[in-house]
Amino acid sequence: MSIEVSTELPSLELTFTRTDLVRYAGASGDFNPIHHSDHAAHALGLDGVLAHGMLTMGRALRVVTDWVGDPARVVAYGVRFTKPVPVPDDGVGTVVTVNGRVTGVADGVATVSIEAVCGEAKVLGSAVAEVRVA
Amino acid sequence: MPITDAHVGRTYPATAPYPVTAGKIAEFADALGDDNPAYRGPDAVAPPTFAIVVAFDAWEALFADPELDISLSRLIHGDQRFDIVRPLRAGDEVVSVLGIDKVRARGNSAFITVSVRIETTAGEPVATSTSTLLHTWPKEESA
Repeated sequence: MSIEVSTELPSLELTFTRTDLVRYAGASGDFNPIHHSDHAAHALGLDGVLAHGMLTMGRALRVVTDWVGDPARVVAYGVRFTKPVPVPDDGVGTVVTVNGRVTGVADGVATVSIEAVCGEAKVLGSAVAEVRVA
Repeated sequence: MPITDAHVGRTYPATAPYPVTAGKIAEFADALGDDNPAYRGPDAVAPPTFAIVVAFDAWEALFADPELDISLSRLIHGDQRFDIVRPLRAGDEVVSVLGIDKVRARGNSAFITVSVRIETTAGEPVATSTSTLLHTWPKEESA
């Protein structure tokens, strides 16, 4: 594996369905109803159900862990939740495309800048993972 | 009266011990749609963001503190960071301590930065979760 600044990681295309949100709610314990109930989302002035930010964050990191193989190499990961990922109950779901690029390598740790885009919207901001590569 | 910057520095007692199990790790990895073999089997490590499950337990202290007037249904997760000493593993038993790091009140809402320090019951540091949460109070109740 050749690791230098500007290395592009293989991109990911992630689909989010209502079932994915329900499964993540159960696995994570985050039962905030805006992630499964349109009724609750509308009451807060939202157009509809949104994906858990943590689900988007967790799934996006796979761009890095698929690349390094061993997820135990991840030493830091941070994101801002800049835009929500709307997940309509349409049987189709919403696609988020994830890309990663190495922006630095120092002391055996690569810094990877992650981009996650849903339609035109960047759904994660300042998304950076640090991963041991040596 | 809701949370103010006077609450910065407040920490809460450690959570009850949380047993990390292979089954829970696999369930979480399934929920991420991630078939990485490291997340399977009796010696599984947890996905890095699994730490939020433990951190979430610690957040309960925020909702339970009547001085803060914070409820989950009025929170928006603004940002999240994990600093990982070593991955959580099947067989770990961990506790976590929540601290309030920063509060920026603005009108009827506040940006609240909390950190959760996760360590084993033997005292070995595992990870720190840092989150910025935007809480909004109903207008008529705002201070």
